[in-house]
Amino acid sequence: MNLAVTLLVMLSIASVIGTVLQQNQTFQDYIIKFGPFWADVFNSLGLYHVYGAAWFVLVLVFLLLSTSVCVTRNTPTFLKDIKQFSEKLSVNALKHQPNHATFESTNSQQTEIERAQALLKTNGYKTKVHHKDDGGVTVAGLKGRWNRLGYFFTHISIIVICVGALLDSNLLLKYRELTGDLIPETRTVSLDKVEQTAWMGPENLSFRGSVNVPEGQKTDVLFLPYENGYLVQKLPFSIDVKDFRIEYYDTGMPKSYESDLILTDPELDEPIVKTIAVNHPLYYKNYAIYQSSFGDGGSILNLDVHPLLSPIENVMPLETAVNKVEPLKTPIGKFRVEINDFRLFNMVPTTEEEKAQTGKKFHNNGPSIIFKVRNEQGKAWEYENYMMPSLQEDRWFFMTGVRTINSEPFRYLFIPADANKTKTRFFQFLALVNNPVETSKILRDAFPKTEQITDKTYELQIKLMQQLMNLFRAKGFEGITEFVNKNVPEKEREQVAEYYFSQSSFALQSLYLTILQKEGVKLAADQDISDFDKIWFEDALNAFNGLSRYGPPMYFELKSFKQIQATGLQITKSPGKDVVYFGSAMLIIGVFFLFYVRQKRIWIHIQANDENENNDSVEITVAGKDNKPLPETEIEFNELVKQIQQPTHNPTKTA
Amino acid sequence: MQTESVTHEFNSSKQKAFGFRDVAWALFVIVGSYLAWNQYGSLMDIYEDAILAGAAIGLIWLGRMWPSFQPLTVVVALLSVLAIYTYQAHGDVITANEQAFFLKYLISSQSAIMWMNALFILAMVAYFLALYQKSEFTGKVATSMVWSASAFGLIGMMVRWRESYIINMDYGHIPVSSLYEVFILFVVMTALIYLYYEQKYKTRTLGGFVMLVIAAAVGFILWYTFDREAHVIQPLVPALKSWWMKIHVPANFIGYGTFSIAAMVGLAYLITAKVAEKNPDSTFVKRMPSLELMDDVMYKNIALGFAFFTIATVLGAMWAAEAWGGYWSWDPKETWALIVWLNYAAWLHIRMSKGWRGKPMAWWALIGLLITTFAFLGVNMFLSGLHSYGEL
Ligand code: HEM
Repeated sequence: MNLAVTLLVMLSIASVIGTVLQQNQTFQDYIIKFGPFWADVFNSLGLYHVYGAAWFVLVLVFLLLSTSVCVTRNTPTFLKDIKQFSEKLSVNALKHQPNHATFESTNSQQTEIERAQALLKTNGYKTKVHHKDDGGVTVAGLKGRWNRLGYFFTHISIIVICVGALLDSNLLLKYRELTGDLIPETRTVSLDKVEQTAWMGPENLSFRGSVNVPEGQKTDVLFLPYENGYLVQKLPFSIDVKDFRIEYYDTGMPKSYESDLILTDPELDEPIVKTIAVNHPLYYKNYAIYQSSFGDGGSILNLDVHPLLSPIENVMPLETAVNKVEPLKTPIGKFRVEINDFRLFNMVPTTEEEKAQTGKKFHNNGPSIIFKVRNEQGKAWEYENYMMPSLQEDRWFFMTGVRTINSEPFRYLFIPADANKTKTRFFQFLALVNNPVETSKILRDAFPKTEQITDKTYELQIKLMQQLMNLFRAKGFEGITEFVNKNVPEKEREQVAEYYFSQSSFALQSLYLTILQKEGVKLAADQDISDFDKIWFEDALNAFNGLSRYGPPMYFELKSFKQIQATGLQITKSPGKDVVYFGSAMLIIGVFFLFYVRQKRIWIHIQANDENENNDSVEITVAGKDNKPLPETEIEFNELVKQIQQPTHNPTKTA
Repeated sequence: MQTESVTHEFNSSKQKAFGFRDVAWALFVIVGSYLAWNQYGSLMDIYEDAILAGAAIGLIWLGRMWPSFQPLTVVVALLSVLAIYTYQAHGDVITANEQAFFLKYLISSQSAIMWMNALFILAMVAYFLALYQKSEFTGKVATSMVWSASAFGLIGMMVRWRESYIINMDYGHIPVSSLYEVFILFVVMTALIYLYYEQKYKTRTLGGFVMLVIAAAVGFILWYTFDREAHVIQPLVPALKSWWMKIHVPANFIGYGTFSIAAMVGLAYLITAKVAEKNPDSTFVKRMPSLELMDDVMYKNIALGFAFFTIATVLGAMWAAEAWGGYWSWDPKETWALIVWLNYAAWLHIRMSKGWRGKPMAWWALIGLLITTFAFLGVNMFLSGLHSYGEL
């Protein structure tokens, strides 16, 4: 019993550790969290995989043993207890039972025996009558023997459940790992490069793993997470994924997803065709195939890479797909582009106004890509680029988010869309600002030399404007402020800065006007440009301003795509499942027997009174015992005594 | 034969007659269930048909075993139908809960739940007042408040069920899926189980103590509503779209409810024992039930809760097998359910095998509530968060 409680406590503690300490992370994460020393100690205690740790399994085995011992030890006594009526107890023994009463009756002994039997029977007791040598008769009653079965059921069920759990555990793998047969793979490599020691054949008794299969492809392997790596499980059948479908709520949350599967097994005459969905798996032999997740299956993407510092528009097309890594050689260095994800829908909450207009709580911002750009030193920037413009404060912008730390939210750059809802004007304008030759030409046109100033001053002024453009492109308006702070004595700073800003504005405006003219926007000399073009200009400057914090100077534009989804399947082989269910059913039945069936005994002893032979009076002794006394035991006992006493009986003693 | 006549003698005193009221009750439940099935059967699958039938049988049995449950059911049914009808009369739009008088002030799910909250708090005050004044009348008022609060809670849940479909057919689901919804289930379950024992043991003195837990839960509901807007009906994630939810969650909450009652009775036990130690003749001790009785109520509750918690855990495992692909994944919620289960298994073991009673068991029941609360709330607050970490 104490061992049992100790084991139960150990199980509880292990369980608590398993929930508080995040399980199955990479060892690197644990080192960051606990430092190298403790990370090592915890690792050798198996705390990162508590539920698979050898000592945990050992506790389970002990639990199994101790419960088995307990059941075998108790069985003989309990069986006897179930069968026995203890009808031969002496009157004295009866008077020592927890509840007892003695009184006299004027009925004949025979009548009282019949009454006693009838009473016990109507109260649900089984009875047995025993005639003693001295003429006394005991009617013994027993009720609720199922209670004892409750003990067996609950405890045997614990054994059954443990056996089922061990069948489904990775005990065999642990053994093979100990003998050196099995070494989990820790690298992310293609299947043919996985070491033979990390492969498992169909002889593996039980497993639970997952695999992502793109639409239109098939699989006959499965990946089992194991310690710090994974194993590859060969399946005895193959699964074709014909189609994957997903539906969304109007909130953008997935509503349901399902896959059309074809399961082919040489043992089957005909392949099994079935659609699985969450909560509706496919069962085959002792395998079960679940719809567990979904993702991108390598959507094909056509990207345009816009260099952000180039003086001419120099777009480089890039044909790639999700999960691919593309090397990128540029004049400013080599980069690796890792395409991580493609999302067809991006649902965002609508503004109050929009809600009032459309009645919708969410709207779709359209497709986006998630990717990382890594430089030669290994530093990475993560981006989220939207394909379509979205409306912000009545204007259309192409959003692109960037971050360098994954726990931080994206910082967004808003690229203003032109009147045609494209980025054309923006990149033209940018290229022009980047182009010193063109810039110089345009500035000279816009600010022709006047009579009042010398050639030298004029050249200086043009040069200043160009330098301001450079500063602006490199670091935005902040760059100009910085320059002033560094090079101008404090007294004059304010004045100089003001002058520089106005000069930059003139320069940028002139460049912008050139762009507008190229687009064919007619500008009468006295006329102002349209409101749209004005606001666009400010938005564009804002965007330029943010470019210095955008990471490597490239913008990836999603031109077109072909979505390929992947279904996330989970496949299990679980021979212990039915064993566990059987045990659970036993457990439930047992618990109810244990708590809601009470085992009770009643003895009614009827002794003829020798001294008073002329009248038929008998002395009746009633005794009762519950194997688990409860407050109602006594009340019920007294009720019973009252029933057996007729008004003529006069109680002599009641306890 | 004489034996027969004696048998007869005992029979008449023992058998409970199956009277007119029982027949009427059974008919009411059967007709009600049939009408519900007739109306909504097209949305139900075969398992849900079975659950409805099972619920009807359970209700007939419960009403016969505990007659006070009958009027409660009738009131809840009628008012829920009235609410559904009012929505229909307003064209089945959710904004009717702002226009129709009945809905706005009484029985739209949000109003009904607010009434429930208020009544539970008042009931707690009334119970303690009754204990203090030794007033029979105040006690009765408190009891009727708990009955009304339970009725409002049940109505709130029934109407919310319907409202989820009114908002959007896609959203429709039984309201036992979010933390907000199960908190309502929790207070109602706890209150009803408490009422049963109150009647059975004919004492109202434990009411205030039990209402402490309920009031705490009500406080949480209020905070959750006003600070977090948790009462807004959300659609279900695909994993929850299953008939399993309809039995797994309620079974669990019978467990949580009884464990809470046991803990609060344990608290009452400890206080009474403490006072009795100092002054055995104090009026407080005299007003409280005997220590033996409280000990017994504690045991009865834990035994009942343990049985249902066992069922709920097993059902949970079976559901997990279907939805997540494994009957046991050591997910934090699962694991903590196991810890709760092990804790009460140990409690029952010590009581049954070693015969422990009284104070240590009362303390243990009280500590058990902490473990239960962590499994119920703490896991959601502290542990599931660990999993939603983004990985780069
Ligand atoms: C559903 C849960 C369980 C219930 C209701 C339960 C009930 C009981 C009861 C009533 C007894 C006492 C038998 C008697 O003296 O009449 C007992 C004894 C015992 N139980 Fe359990 N039990 C449960 C689970 C477990 C578990 C999980 C273990 C695991 C080790 C266990 C191990 C034992 C042991 C070792 C004894 C003592 C037997 C002896 O001393 O010979 N029980 N249990």
